[in-house]
Amino acid sequence: MKNKRTSRIKYDKSERSLKIVAVVFSLIFAGLMLYPLIFTVSSAMKDNVKIYEVPPKLLPGRGNSVSLVLDYSDIPYNNEDELKDIILRDNVINMFGINESIKDDFIMEVKVFGVKDGETIFYSRAHQMKLQMEQSYGVYKSTSIKPEVLLHEDRYIRANNSIGYEFDINGISKKVKNNLGDEYFEQGASALQSKFPSTGRLLSMGNEKKSLLNLENFKYYLKMPQNIYPNNERISQLGFMTFVINSIIVIGFAVITQVFLCSICAFVISKQLSERAGKAVLLFFLIAMMVPFASIMLPQLIMYKKMGAYNNYAALLLPFLYPFGFYVYLYKGFFDQIPRSYFEAAELDGAGSIYLYSKICMPLSKPIISLIALQTFLGNWNDFFWAWMVTEDQRLWTLNVALYNISNNSGTRQNAIMGLAVVTITPVILLSILFSNQLKQSVISSGVKG
Amino acid sequence: MKTKNNKMSVFKKKATPWLILLLPMAFTVWLKYYPIASAFYISLFKYDPINPPGRFVGLANYIGMFKMKHYWEAWGNTFVFLFLQIALCFFIPLIQALLLNELIRFKKSLTTLYILPALIPTSVNVIIWKWIWHPDYGVANQIVKFFGGSPQVWLSDPKLVKFCIIFPGIIGGGLTVLLYLSAIQGVSQDMMESAAIDGCTGFSKIWHIILPNISFMIFIQLIMTVITTMQLLDAPYMYTGGGPSGASTTQGIFIYNAFNKDMNYGRGSAASVVLLFIIVILTMVQMWFERSEEG
Repeated sequence: MKNKRTSRIKYDKSERSLKIVAVVFSLIFAGLMLYPLIFTVSSAMKDNVKIYEVPPKLLPGRGNSVSLVLDYSDIPYNNEDELKDIILRDNVINMFGINESIKDDFIMEVKVFGVKDGETIFYSRAHQMKLQMEQSYGVYKSTSIKPEVLLHEDRYIRANNSIGYEFDINGISKKVKNNLGDEYFEQGASALQSKFPSTGRLLSMGNEKKSLLNLENFKYYLKMPQNIYPNNERISQLGFMTFVINSIIVIGFAVITQVFLCSICAFVISKQLSERAGKAVLLFFLIAMMVPFASIMLPQLIMYKKMGAYNNYAALLLPFLYPFGFYVYLYKGFFDQIPRSYFEAAELDGAGSIYLYSKICMPLSKPIISLIALQTFLGNWNDFFWAWMVTEDQRLWTLNVALYNISNNSGTRQNAIMGLAVVTITPVILLSILFSNQLKQSVISSGVKG
Repeated sequence: MKTKNNKMSVFKKKATPWLILLLPMAFTVWLKYYPIASAFYISLFKYDPINPPGRFVGLANYIGMFKMKHYWEAWGNTFVFLFLQIALCFFIPLIQALLLNELIRFKKSLTTLYILPALIPTSVNVIIWKWIWHPDYGVANQIVKFFGGSPQVWLSDPKLVKFCIIFPGIIGGGLTVLLYLSAIQGVSQDMMESAAIDGCTGFSKIWHIILPNISFMIFIQLIMTVITTMQLLDAPYMYTGGGPSGASTTQGIFIYNAFNKDMNYGRGSAASVVLLFIIVILTMVQMWFERSEEG
């Protein structure tokens, strides 16, 4: 502290200008680093029209919610089912009609209320992404949005079931909000009337801004894999989580095997072998690790295929089943510091290697274990090519492979893939901020030696 | 009897460590050394995946490969990538660390922020930057237009594609910053203070005191950069798949295409072996320097 103060007084002109440059440029770099991240998050919160806006805006803006009220008081009907059918048809037409005809206005939510004699009898609500998903992968896949297409055969019923609705001829508790704006009524009503005519009479079309709608996008992004790969059983159950689980399995396996294998090898090298033999063994492991992946991927693939380790978890996990030289090296550096006398005393009492390893070495090596675990995570979090080469089945994809494949799928919209990217990196970023001190320590202590 | 027992226990003591090591070493041989050997082996054959190994052709795969224009183009691309990487991105983490060291406040939080790029996987980076480079909707063309330039097609332009793939690294950061920072903080404080008394402060302090003292670290990082860029595979593959018209095909992609597109395992293995040799030589240079610094 004292040092700092004296040096502060000593600042001369050139030191001061350096400090100013340091502050300015560090902030610029920080901004440069944050820009792609902010841009990604913001893109994920845009809707399907805004994402293609030129020039692209940094902030997504707030989503609009539109509430349509349709009146059925004067509509003649024979029985309840007939009225319901009329309303269901209207519902699909209005929802997709709004989504189609005033799409430039960032409408992220459409609510449809059906009223009869002042009583609400029907309510349905859809997020824009839901409607988009029906258009991209669902009921209205690769069709144009026109009333006759929307109502074709039982399509509107399937669409309604997928969107969800409430109907009760005696009235339901949902009421349209009172203090809504009226910005889109003229534009929307005329567009609906000319292109998407409905049976019920449009009473009002209120709108409000809701930020939460932007966040709701993510809910649908996570379900997207289900729609892209509907034939895959596991993906249709778990959606995007399939890939998260696969990544956790692979990295978890890597961490466990590396922590375990490397510590055993390092223990033997450090405590039980002569110095020369230990060096030779360490070199044996180090050379194996330095082999570039690009130059053995081909024979490795041939070998794995021959063993049957292709397109299954064995292919993903086997590459971690040997000790990585660098981690052995880090462990050895740590074990070397444990005094020999610890072991000699135990050995005199007749303790075997297993006892020495499990009862003396491992309890002492908590800090190094977390270091190896972190290093393994950082080293393999980015793995792509091997996992990509050996997995044909979508249920085996790790996050990286899945993101690559989904982003190359021609039907994927940019906001959706950006959203999945955000979902992928957010937990890691949060964890790294939480454990930033350990992370820094781990990098510095491993890097200076290596 | 007693001596026999003793001998047994000595033997047991000598043998146990090797018994423990047996399995990990066997797995290493199986999973790493064997593929290397088989790369050599396959490269000597006109490999037939159905009835391996096929016809022995000696060095014909190598000779045929060296005559391929495509092969040398892949090396050319690799070296352009290397040049761009060093020219654009290599010094950024060093500069960031030097400036970070001068900060009085926010040093800790900025250091944390600088780690972020290391945590963002290439797949995510590719998604973000493909959108930035997008010819119609991307930010890149907007910036070019703002400065009065004409819009480019970026990743679809053979001349620009390598630049576009390397450029995202310009934000720097990553774990290298931490390594530099710890090296800078390791420079002796006495030296700094005596230099300050002699009037060596500010930028001249960085130039005359800090940089010479961490030059070893910079050199090691340089060799690391060369080694990793030589093996570049994921990023160009994910951005463009090696295109347009082979303009971003690196050695790694060449090897992959040899067996995936051309089904020529022999040529792919030959390219693997050549790449392996070059990386081994570079790694040996690095180890030699590290040892010379220690000794």
